[in-house]
Amino acid sequence: MAEILRMEGISKRFGNFYANKNINLSIEEGEVHTLLGENGAGKSTLMNILIGLYQPTEGKIFFKGKEVHIESPDHAARLGIGMVHQHFMLVKAMTVFENIILGEKHSKGLFINREARRKEIIELSERYGLDIELDKLITDLAVGAQQRVEILKALYHGAELLVLDEPSAALTDTEVEGLFAIMRKLTSEGKSIIFISHKMREVLHISDRITILRLGEVVTTVNRGDVDGQQLADMMIGRELKPSHYEKKVVPHDPVVELKSVDFSKDNKHNGLNGVSLAVNKGEILGIAGVDGNGQTQLAQVIAGVITPDAGTVDLGGNKIQIFDPNDFINKGVAHIPEDRNLQGLVGDMTIADNLVLKETENPRFSGGIFLKQGVINQYAKDMIQKYDIRCQGYDQDVRSLSGGNQQKVILAREIESEPDLLIAVHPTRGLDIGAADFVHEQMIKARAENVGILLISADFDEILEMSDRILVIFEGQIMGEFSGKNPPIEEISLAMTGNRKGGRA
Amino acid sequence: MKIKNATGLVVPLLSILLAFIIGGIIMAALGANPLEAMQYLIKGSFGTVNALGNTLNKATPLIYCGLCACFAYKCGVFNLGGEGQFLCGAMTACVVALLLGEKGVEGWLICLLCLILGTIAGGIWGFIPGILKITRGQNEMIISIMLNYVATLFMGVIYTNWMRDASVPQTLQVPQADRLGRIFPRLRFTWGFAIAVAVGILMWIFLFKTSAGFKIRAVGYNMTASRFNGFPVKKLMFVSFIVSGAVAGLGGAAELMGTQFRLINGFGAGYGFDGVAMALIGQLNPLATILVAVFFAALRVGSTSMQAATGVPTSVSDIIQALVIIFTVAGLALVKLPEFEAFRLRLTSGKKEA
Repeated sequence: MAEILRMEGISKRFGNFYANKNINLSIEEGEVHTLLGENGAGKSTLMNILIGLYQPTEGKIFFKGKEVHIESPDHAARLGIGMVHQHFMLVKAMTVFENIILGEKHSKGLFINREARRKEIIELSERYGLDIELDKLITDLAVGAQQRVEILKALYHGAELLVLDEPSAALTDTEVEGLFAIMRKLTSEGKSIIFISHKMREVLHISDRITILRLGEVVTTVNRGDVDGQQLADMMIGRELKPSHYEKKVVPHDPVVELKSVDFSKDNKHNGLNGVSLAVNKGEILGIAGVDGNGQTQLAQVIAGVITPDAGTVDLGGNKIQIFDPNDFINKGVAHIPEDRNLQGLVGDMTIADNLVLKETENPRFSGGIFLKQGVINQYAKDMIQKYDIRCQGYDQDVRSLSGGNQQKVILAREIESEPDLLIAVHPTRGLDIGAADFVHEQMIKARAENVGILLISADFDEILEMSDRILVIFEGQIMGEFSGKNPPIEEISLAMTGNRKGGRA
Repeated sequence: MKIKNATGLVVPLLSILLAFIIGGIIMAALGANPLEAMQYLIKGSFGTVNALGNTLNKATPLIYCGLCACFAYKCGVFNLGGEGQFLCGAMTACVVALLLGEKGVEGWLICLLCLILGTIAGGIWGFIPGILKITRGQNEMIISIMLNYVATLFMGVIYTNWMRDASVPQTLQVPQADRLGRIFPRLRFTWGFAIAVAVGILMWIFLFKTSAGFKIRAVGYNMTASRFNGFPVKKLMFVSFIVSGAVAGLGGAAELMGTQFRLINGFGAGYGFDGVAMALIGQLNPLATILVAVFFAALRVGSTSMQAATGVPTSVSDIIQALVIIFTVAGLALVKLPEFEAFRLRLTSGKKEA
């Protein structure tokens, strides 16, 4: 088979960080080539380079044997590279036909020869079995059909190589089957497909070859028949168990929070929860492992009272929750280190002191009923800055101007000083340097020693392994299995993170 | 913190300077001596006891409307309905005073009653966009603007129809005994000005010193974080919309009882949006908003003497006012850009090296 695309020695650097490092990738005509990797492995960066959104720092791209410098998505389309994004780029208020001819460059004259275009599109649609009604509005189409419109649009604009970015994410199982049929049809006609996914079952089902990326580098490229799911998961997650700095504990069942069959928009595989049951016990760290975007955000927000589950029950300290209101949860002893500290955790334009007492403005210690006790607050802030080693110019500095690590320490101080029963920590060390990350971890261990139940949600597998007394794996909003935090079975956990239930086979 | 305060002061001052320079160029192009014209502008607004009285009197409704915008924006809701709320306050005060006046009931207690009822009426006019926003998710800006028209047209019904003063399309004047008096007999401004300043000071204390004000500011800066931290975000927005409307309503009542005495075509027109500009230039600080309102009133009052003495039309003063608004808003946006921060750091580090 002839090679359609070769990327040679591609590197992309952002500041000091290599999102892609010396990547070699070769795509042949008529193959489905899968890019497999965790979030942050560099798949998206590589594809953004391919479609001209980014320029590589180093490296060459050859398309159909010729070296090309892809300047823009438009240029990529003219070369014959089309991309179907995970989030569709369709104008919802326009019809399928209008969306497809939108942005067409080779039309001449003022008016569009609609009939000729229609014929061409219908031919394409029939040839690849896309089954699309041209005159329907995009709004009226199911997600699967919208995706077929995207594919048809790319084909109509002359795509020889199609990039499908997590195309199955939003689809039902039947729709996924349909998508795979279309993909086979496309490859049998000589089109090539780059398929991005981290779902092992699908990858093994549809791929001809698989390239595994990890931390911005290519681990290897393999033929589908040569590997099994376990090997792929190992290569994708790729870790050996390092001894943890912390002693892992097994505590008796004494839950501070207990979820029973909680659903939240459960048909949404990326932002939903489907029958989640779990309990966080006093004095333990329960780690939730999983690839980003499998319901972790929603899990944290349900337990923080920010969103209301569709079904199931949440018990806090033995009492069933009726109304989901963050204030009520805070009063019941829930502390929350939210996933986005600037958006959800801090008020950037207020001072360190203000942010430290954000939840305490009704507390008689800081408020005399109507007026705030500014003197007490300032003194408290000075103490916290010392205790939590917040590096700043003073307690009246705006939080916005602190570094990420110091911002996180402000949140940590506020949440831990509230003496919670439950601490929800979502990506607590994301974006922090090692010193700050260690500090956060030590504070969590300290809180654990004071019998706080801690729910640690992190996409950083190392962090989960290092900190957790127990590990649950979440995938598409479902809990895939429970594992011991002491000598955790890395292979099994890796496999569960890619969609295989504990005890199941790949 | 210190740096932030400094830029917060420097930007408006620079904007005023720039606006006056451009205004001066326009004056020169019109054939006048800019320095002379500006002298008259200042003399006409602050130069005499009379002028000062006029300026503060003119500033009074602007202060109320500025504080109205200030309070809502501080909580992150955009009340563009200051004018409608102002008019509701004025209409209520006028109708109540006239109806009671017909029955011969008048006096300072009636004045107080009118101010209170005007405040309530403004609050109700703020209640409508507030409740629609928090329960139905409607855009509060659109609704509050639309309610301005409703209020203006409703006022038209009152002065052309229900309470028309014979053949003239205006209402009768409220009884003499009901009116807000002057603080100093020689100065034209009334107790309405004193109340406005008091409201501003109270608002400042509330926003910056109390627990409830703390929450309102937090919601205004970051609604999501406030929700995550357990604040009743919607309730706070709703309440601040009502308070905001009430302040404008009080302003309308005070303007009617202190300065205008009757409803007439054009009453209160433009004050709502003027108030928004004052609040933005004052960077949502109630005390600064008062100063800005006085400054704008001075430009308006002084421009008449300027025209009389030098022939420079009053519209040049309008241009200067508009330029101040544009420069300040643009300038405040500019200093928030990361590029500006980098530039500033380079300058200061350069100084250290030198």
